[in-house]
Amino acid sequence: MSLLEDLSKDRRVVLYAVVLALAIILIGTLGLKFGLDLQGGSYLQLQLEGAVAQVDVTPEKILEVQFNASSVQKLGNAYVVMVPGKVKATLPDDLGYSGSKMVEQNNITKITITAIDTDIITNYLKKSMDADVKIVGVAPVQYEIRTNVTRESLNAILAPVGGKVSTGENAFVEGLTVETVDETKKVLDSKLNRLGMQDIRVRVVDNKYILIDLAGMDVATAQDVVGKPGKFEIRIQADNNQTIHVLYGDAVASVDIPQGDRSGGWGVPFTLSEEGAAVFQKASIDAGAVKNPDAHPISMYLDKDEVFSAPLAAELAGSLSKVPVRTLEARVGSGDAGSTKAKELYIHLREGALPVNVAIVGSGQVSAALGKQFKIQMVIAGLIALLAVAAMVFYRYRERRIVLPMVATSFSEVVMMLGIWSLGGIWFGWQLDLASLAGIIMVIGTGVDQLVIITDELIRGGEAVPAASDRSIKERAAEAAEKSGVGKAVAASSKVYLGRLSRAFTIIIGAAATTAVAMLPLLYMGFGALTGFALIIIVGVILGTAIARPAYGRIIGHILAGN
Amino acid sequence: MELEDIVSKYPPKQIMLIPVVIIVLALISLGVTYLNTGSPVKLGVEFTGGTLVTVPATESEDAVSAEYDKYPLVDVRNIGNRYMVQFGPMSDSEYSDLAKQTVSKYGTNAEIRHMGPIYSKELQAQVVRYLPLSFLLMAAVVFVVFRELMVSLLVVISALADILTAAASMNVTGVQLSLGTVAALLMLIGYSVDTDILLSMRVLKRKGTTEEKIVGAMGTGFMMTGTTIAAVFSLIIVSNFLYLIIPSFTRMDIIADMTTVLIFGLAADIFNTWVTNAQGLRWYMNRPRKSARGLKR
Repeated sequence: MSLLEDLSKDRRVVLYAVVLALAIILIGTLGLKFGLDLQGGSYLQLQLEGAVAQVDVTPEKILEVQFNASSVQKLGNAYVVMVPGKVKATLPDDLGYSGSKMVEQNNITKITITAIDTDIITNYLKKSMDADVKIVGVAPVQYEIRTNVTRESLNAILAPVGGKVSTGENAFVEGLTVETVDETKKVLDSKLNRLGMQDIRVRVVDNKYILIDLAGMDVATAQDVVGKPGKFEIRIQADNNQTIHVLYGDAVASVDIPQGDRSGGWGVPFTLSEEGAAVFQKASIDAGAVKNPDAHPISMYLDKDEVFSAPLAAELAGSLSKVPVRTLEARVGSGDAGSTKAKELYIHLREGALPVNVAIVGSGQVSAALGKQFKIQMVIAGLIALLAVAAMVFYRYRERRIVLPMVATSFSEVVMMLGIWSLGGIWFGWQLDLASLAGIIMVIGTGVDQLVIITDELIRGGEAVPAASDRSIKERAAEAAEKSGVGKAVAASSKVYLGRLSRAFTIIIGAAATTAVAMLPLLYMGFGALTGFALIIIVGVILGTAIARPAYGRIIGHILAGN
Repeated sequence: MELEDIVSKYPPKQIMLIPVVIIVLALISLGVTYLNTGSPVKLGVEFTGGTLVTVPATESEDAVSAEYDKYPLVDVRNIGNRYMVQFGPMSDSEYSDLAKQTVSKYGTNAEIRHMGPIYSKELQAQVVRYLPLSFLLMAAVVFVVFRELMVSLLVVISALADILTAAASMNVTGVQLSLGTVAALLMLIGYSVDTDILLSMRVLKRKGTTEEKIVGAMGTGFMMTGTTIAAVFSLIIVSNFLYLIIPSFTRMDIIADMTTVLIFGLAADIFNTWVTNAQGLRWYMNRPRKSARGLKR
């Protein structure tokens, strides 16, 4: 009775009881999520390719080479390119300079391109690498190139236009910006969600790798699903209250990264193929959208879901009545909402294609039946571990009063870990996989280590007598106490007791800290395969050191001193 | 007890020869493997790239080999109720065919793990980067705990000896370096110092002769390593041998590799804590000097 009363006043014991109860409630209500290797399914590991670079190159030289020009002049916000002879009418558009004007006079073609220097460099990089390029830094200007590129290959691309990668280590950094990686993850998320897939998990590791878990799917299907684009369609409102088909995604030649204009409006520029532009013009005229745009909005669909709908802009309707227009922009609104919408539409227009080039690093599948079996095997291993540890503890102390609290503490640490895990499952998508189950078993093994340290410090505090297992604990404890001058078994609140406990904890905290820091690298290693293992050990060590072991110290102290 | 006698009777410098010899032997083993293969331990499929497929054992091993003969087949093994088929590196399209063929025959009952060249290269780079980092972090914590150069150094050296011995034991037992074994080596970095910290704390903080304190700490230390070994042992049994008794169970490779390395590391830890570290402490504490025994922080 007095034991319980005493303990209920100790805040460490109270904290322990509360956390343990919370953990049980959490596991009961939230449940535990199992990893792919325990429930079956397939996984893909993708590497995002790209680099951020600074380049030394002049826009004039680029234009000169691209157009085979005799001279290039910068005039305010525009470049005037003079080309000897005739130039194909679509050349500026083909090269990505939309909205440029072309005049031919005396066998010399004068092309006026409205663009600033960085636009031209971006454009050149894009065209020569067939990949997206985005400006990610100002002063110095940095270009994010979203494909596999090295300093050497970039230099080779810039050499024909007299440019090179700027000197210095920082001028070429492999990897993408966090925003781009995040965007790629979103594309995958939205794509897999759209396909109505349950239980998918997309994670980013090291800002470089994307890991996709697809529960209950075989790996051949998974590769198809992730690699296959969605079905994009443009439709137009006809007179009879119905929409009619205009184009499919194959008519969209390219999509640009969303841009905000000066008034804060956002839009996604995209370019149609030549044939696509002709079809688009004809459909607009036939449907009457050119004459009355507001009654005949253009809508876009991805996998049958409407993703955009708006009438033709007045000036576009005007142009379309005369010529096909290849370069269009889908305006979505202004402000933050517009920016978000533009980014979404950008994803959709690209038919769910990823914004960066990816390489498949690894993939595979796990059998559901095998996963179930592994789960059973691990539970067996856990029980054997607990029993083996209990047997060892009993062999050493020959005292039920020590064995039971020790094993119970160890088991309660497991419960607490699982409690945190079920919470982490909701917040961060933590899952119990084979590796984290192994981690739990390791925590059982080392957690008991530390309980042994506490117990031994308390029993044989001040002196160093070799373990004499034929003597009972009480005898040894009493002897120890006598030597250290207390004269009787250590009272649970005495100074000697507290001193020993604190000494035990110096050892424990040192040992726990080394275990935790040694595990840190594993959080990032191996493409996340061992994250669960490292994380559960770190969580277990922290929980054990901060909550369970202090409480055990108190409880065992009371048990040894009392009765 | 013999170990207790050794610990306290013979002069430290003589006993220290044993760990030195063991470390040298471990280094030779790692060095020879390095000269032969280009890495100090044998690299597993995760580090060389390749594909592992395990399928239910419904037909003979030969039939399975024949089925996959157009791919770079390396090995077919029975792992209890299932076959593990290992392939060398192959092209993406070959792998894609392999995956389709396996899925169409075995459905989701097949287990497939494909590790492309980027994966294995990156993994190698990670090990080279993170293993030393982990060790340095551990050493930093040890220095913070003791704030005394020699004592900390002894702990770190013992841990290093553990890792080297465990790595060399991989070469002896034929365990290859896999993600699991790297995890085991990292874990050893963390665990091996537990007992060293206990020992050094007891020797520094308690009253009595160094020898008495070492022998006293030994009881606790053996128990600590014992419980860890008990946990590791249960994993070894379940991952390695259970399938031999209960036919529906399967060998769990990653756990089996991990625990093999751990058990060697823990065995090395017993030796290095109670011989290497303990003798080092004996020599350090009993050396002729001006300051009194029972150092304060």
